[in-house]
Parts: sequence; structure tokens; C-alpha cells
Amino acid sequence: MAQKGVHEIAETRYGDAGAAAGFALASLNAARPGIWLWIRERALTTDLGRVTGLGAAAFGLDPSRLVFVEAGSSLEALLATEEGVRSGAVSAVITETREASFTATRRLLLASEAGGTPALLLFPHTRSGATAAHARWRISPAPSAPNLFDARAPGAPRWAARLERCRTAPGQAGRQFDLEFDDETLCLRLVSGLVDRPAAARPARPADILPFRKTG
Amino acid sequence: MAAANASATRLGIGPGLRFADARSRAPNVQAEPIDRGADAAALEALGLWATRWTPLSSVDGLDAVRLDITGCARFFGGEGALLNDIGERMAAGGLSCRLGAGPTPGAAWALARYGANPVNVCRRDQSVEDALKDLPAAGLRLTENAERLLRRFGLTRIGQLYGIDRTALARRFASKDAANAVRFRLDQALGIYAEPLVPLRPPPDYAARHSFVEPLISSEGITAALEGLAETLCQQLEQDGCGARDFTLTAFRSNGSASLVSLSTARPVRDVGHILRLFRDRIENIDPGFGIDLLALTATRPDTLETDARALSTDLAASPVDQAALAALADRLTAKLGEGAVRISRPVASHDPARAEILTAFEGQEEDWSKTLQAPRGDRPARLLDQPEIVDVLAEVPDGPPVRFVWRRVPRRVKRAEGPERIAPEWWRTFNSETRARDYYRIEDEDGRRYWVFREGLYQDGRGGNPRWFVHALFS
Repeated sequence: MAQKGVHEIAETRYGDAGAAAGFALASLNAARPGIWLWIRERALTTDLGRVTGLGAAAFGLDPSRLVFVEAGSSLEALLATEEGVRSGAVSAVITETREASFTATRRLLLASEAGGTPALLLFPHTRSGATAAHARWRISPAPSAPNLFDARAPGAPRWAARLERCRTAPGQAGRQFDLEFDDETLCLRLVSGLVDRPAAARPARPADILPFRKTG
Repeated sequence: MAAANASATRLGIGPGLRFADARSRAPNVQAEPIDRGADAAALEALGLWATRWTPLSSVDGLDAVRLDITGCARFFGGEGALLNDIGERMAAGGLSCRLGAGPTPGAAWALARYGANPVNVCRRDQSVEDALKDLPAAGLRLTENAERLLRRFGLTRIGQLYGIDRTALARRFASKDAANAVRFRLDQALGIYAEPLVPLRPPPDYAARHSFVEPLISSEGITAALEGLAETLCQQLEQDGCGARDFTLTAFRSNGSASLVSLSTARPVRDVGHILRLFRDRIENIDPGFGIDLLALTATRPDTLETDARALSTDLAASPVDQAALAALADRLTAKLGEGAVRISRPVASHDPARAEILTAFEGQEEDWSKTLQAPRGDRPARLLDQPEIVDVLAEVPDGPPVRFVWRRVPRRVKRAEGPERIAPEWWRTFNSETRARDYYRIEDEDGRRYWVFREGLYQDGRGGNPRWFVHALFS
């Protein structure tokens, strides 16, 4: 995905932006080395927070290679994306924006093919309609992997990534991939169907601690 | 009344008069309420326009523009010709003015206001003392009291003050300070005390100018002229072996106003094509008005260009990043989206997540993260909220992680939790003893969404009431 073309990453429901950002960061590991241009629309970052250098470092990315661009509107964000993709100075462009028309994504696709730089578009769940992108991934978080050191703690992040549309391999569209990020090998791993089982049961509580109870 | 035009002055109406008195002299006198803010803005615009004669231009008081024309006059054929040019161009813009030029700012002030002609120049063969001696003492920029007192002594001409020494003057004034103020103003006018000028805009290091016989009225014309200007400027930069980081295009209109477009670049630049590309979208911001008769492209912040030869490939440069191309991209984005749009994260030695890194303007630099990344640290989230958001929380034990919480109106049930990671307040930064330690928990709800929440303080830690809970970030 981070090698070429234009790809969409969309949230499934409100609040899945963390998972979508994680999926984008994880896929950047496959990009060729260089600068990553992270473009974000102001309205989105004030609502759902911003990707930080330390957050990127958790995915094995070097924060000094991330250059952030603040755009005031979707139009500005897309303009900046096109500039970045055309320039050839960066190895990938990630754009968080609320809206992108078919024409705009078509322009991006042509620019990306000319410049050889991939573009990842991160959309909120409200975005709908066709785009010219190669593929659309719809991301939702899944219960995390079991934590080996503490059964009660969350483990490695897992996501359910559904390939909603795929121009290059239409047969694959509609497939769902349950993915887990491995922070040792810095790559995504397919997890078996067992992911849906409930989280490990909590160890029995000592009898002398009573849970709070709503009264009255 | 603050000001009057020529016809009103002829009737004896002038500043200081009450409006009722003015009306008694001329019943049909027209008046406008004074707007000091607009006056100041107009004067500043005029000062900016005056940079066509000299880069050192400033606003002086409420009604004057002060120019330092040292070394500039010879380009216009002497001080007299320069002042005549100013007068003509002001008249063409529909402005009347009085002009004075002298070897000191004080002398120029007096000559402009009290000189015999509309244009008064202190000639080269004339001393300042000689030029000022017949002007009224008011030309010394005195306070009203001092001026009245001098008049009472019969000291009405500046020349009469030359021979009087400090002590003799002090005896006549109520205080020594008042006498010294008069003497100080005289010394300023005679050039004994320097009076430096603070220019409206910093004087440029390099400049290229193009004046037009026929005023320009379209932005196409500006674009065409800009190309020539950029070439001239880059030649100047090349001769000195440097590039510049700030560029300003100033368009001087024939009606006495100017508009300018500035931009800065991430690294020193002297590439004509790049400068033109950056200005391309901004030229529309220049309003040609009734015609532009002079264009000036100036450059400040010069710096050495590291190398003019481009690496054959990025492999040879041993870096996957083409710094020059990246800087050029940053410049184009800054020109499109505005100053400070392109930023890079800089690590700060702090455990406070909100302060652990700051976004700084990208200027071609690479921040050093190696130390920060080696330091032991808990897991850090993918998306940090700008402000921690307060949430309602139900916890099993007072010091434990939450079991249920309501964030953005949706109740969420916590399935798994890890923590606490205690981040103590930085006592060396804040002197407020009420600041409480934060206990951060990494939690996951039943949908698999992961959050970073913290409890501000502990129960009964003696720093305020019950601790509150916040969501600070979203984990991936």
C-alpha cells in the first residue's frame, strides 16, 4: 500500500480514528526510506487529536522523518497532498481530511503515478461516495492480542480491516483481514479467527475486597 | 480642531480653535470627526510607499514621515531634485505636503514646517546653524510651556538660542529639566546628539528595481516584470556566493500607496524558477489600483548556500532524503497555506505528554530524536488530544483503573487495563502546589477501542477535593 498509488483508509464508526491512524502508521514501515509528509485538516485534529512523534515511534518510525502540514480546509489539504505527491521529495504522503471528490482523487492518482509517490487518505466515518483510489480499507479496532506479561492488560493492537473496494484486485473486495501489529518485526500479521473469543477471564478477586455497588 | 485645509487656514481657522469659533468665522465650514487610527494607518502606508526613495523610512509623530536619504540623493540628482520628485509624485496622488531636508532630523523637521518654501533644503555649502537661525523657536519640537516661556523672554528665533549657555537658560526656567529639554532639542537639531531612525521595515540586503514609463495595471505585467527582477537579484546573490531566505515584492502605485507580498523559504535560495513559483500564487494579492509605476524585489536574511552542485543521486549523498527538494516543497506549501503550516516535531526533555514534543516551523533542519527514543518510556498513544477531556468514571477501587466511563456521551465498559504510569508534576516549572500527579492507564473497552486515561491526583492527597478523570489520547 505504501509503495504506490492512492489508497483510502476510513474509520468504521465514530472514534475509530485511533485504529485508522495506527493502521496507516503500521503500513508506512513498508514505504521506501525518506520523509513522510503528514497532512492534517485542522477541524479533524481538534476533534480527534493529532499524531505525535512519540506515537509514530511506537510503530518503529523515526519521528525526525515526519513532517507535518496543517491545512485549514479539505481543499487546502488536497492541494498540499498533490504538491507533495508531485514533488518526489517525500516517500509517502498521508492526508487526514474530511472530504475528497472523485475528481480530486483522480488528480491525486495521476500525480501519484507521475511522481511515483504513494498517497494515503484517512477519512472519518462520515465520508461516503466513490473515489478514484486504488483501494479502500475500512478499519475498526478489535480486542487486542493477549498480553503475555499481564492477562488483564491490553496487548498488541489488533484491527479488523475490510477491503471495501479494490481496483487492482476486484476479486478480493469485501474480504476482511484481522490484523495484528507486531512491534518486534514491525509488520502486520494475520490473526486466526479465534480473535473473537472474549478476553481472558479475570483472576478471582480476593474475598476481602468488595466491589462498589450502586445503592438507593 | 486638529487640522484645517488651505482655504480654511486663509480664513484664520486652524488647529487649536474651538469648532464654535470656527463656525462664527465661516458659517458654512465643514467638519469631519477625527479618526486617529485611520490617520496612523494612512501615514504608515505613505511611509511604506516612501521606501521607493530610501529603505530607511519611518512615521514621525501624527503628521509626518521621516526618511533617511543619506547616500540616496545622488541617484535622483541631489537632495533638491529628490525632494522635488517626492513633491511631484505626492501631488500626482492628490496629496499636498511640505518637505524639508537637512543634515539632522531636527533640522529637517524645522525646515519642513517653518521653511519659507514648500520645499526647503539645507544646501551643501550651508551649515545647520545658518539654515536654522531665522526659523521660529517652535521649530525645535518644544513643549507648549517651553515655547511660551521662550517667547516671553523675546527668544523667538532659533538663532537667538545659539549663544545662550545652559546655566543662563536654566536660571530662567522653573526647573533645570525644562531648560535641559530645550537645550537637548537644540543639540539634536544641530547634530550634537544623534537621533537614530527606526525603519518601518528592515532595510534589505539585496534589491532589484524596475520602474515603468507606462504604469502597469494587470497582474500579467507584474509576472513578466518579476522574472527580470528575480534574475537581477539572483545575479547579485551569486556574486556574493550566497542565497537569501526572505523575499519581498513591493509594488509602488502612482497614487501614493504601496502593496507588498513577502515570503520566506526553508533554506537560503537563489534559484530564479523557485522564487517565481513561490510568488506565482501570491501576485494576485497585489492590487494594481490606478497603476504601478515601480516594482522592487528585495531580499533579506542572506546566508551561504551550502553547495550549488546537486548530488547526482540520493544514493551518492548517503541519505534517502533530497534536502533541497524537500525544502523547495516546504516553501511551496508555506506559500500556499500560510506561514507556519509546515512543521516538524522537536523532542523536549519532559515526561509530561503534552510537553514531550513541540511542533516547530520546518526550516530544513532535522531534529535529533535518538536520545529521546533510547530513554525508557511507557507506551505512547497514536493520537494525542489537544486538551485532556474530563470523563465520568466508575472505578472498582479508589486507586485502581476505571471499570466504566462516559466519554463524549457514550458509556464504555472497560475490559482490560494496564497501569498506572505515574507522571509527577514538574515542580521546577510551576510554583503552584495544587498541581497533582497524574496516574495514566492504558485501557481497552469492549469494542476493542484503546484509550489513555488519567486520574489527576489521589484520594486524600491533601491537594484539593476528589481526583478527576480525563481521557488524554486514543491508542491505535
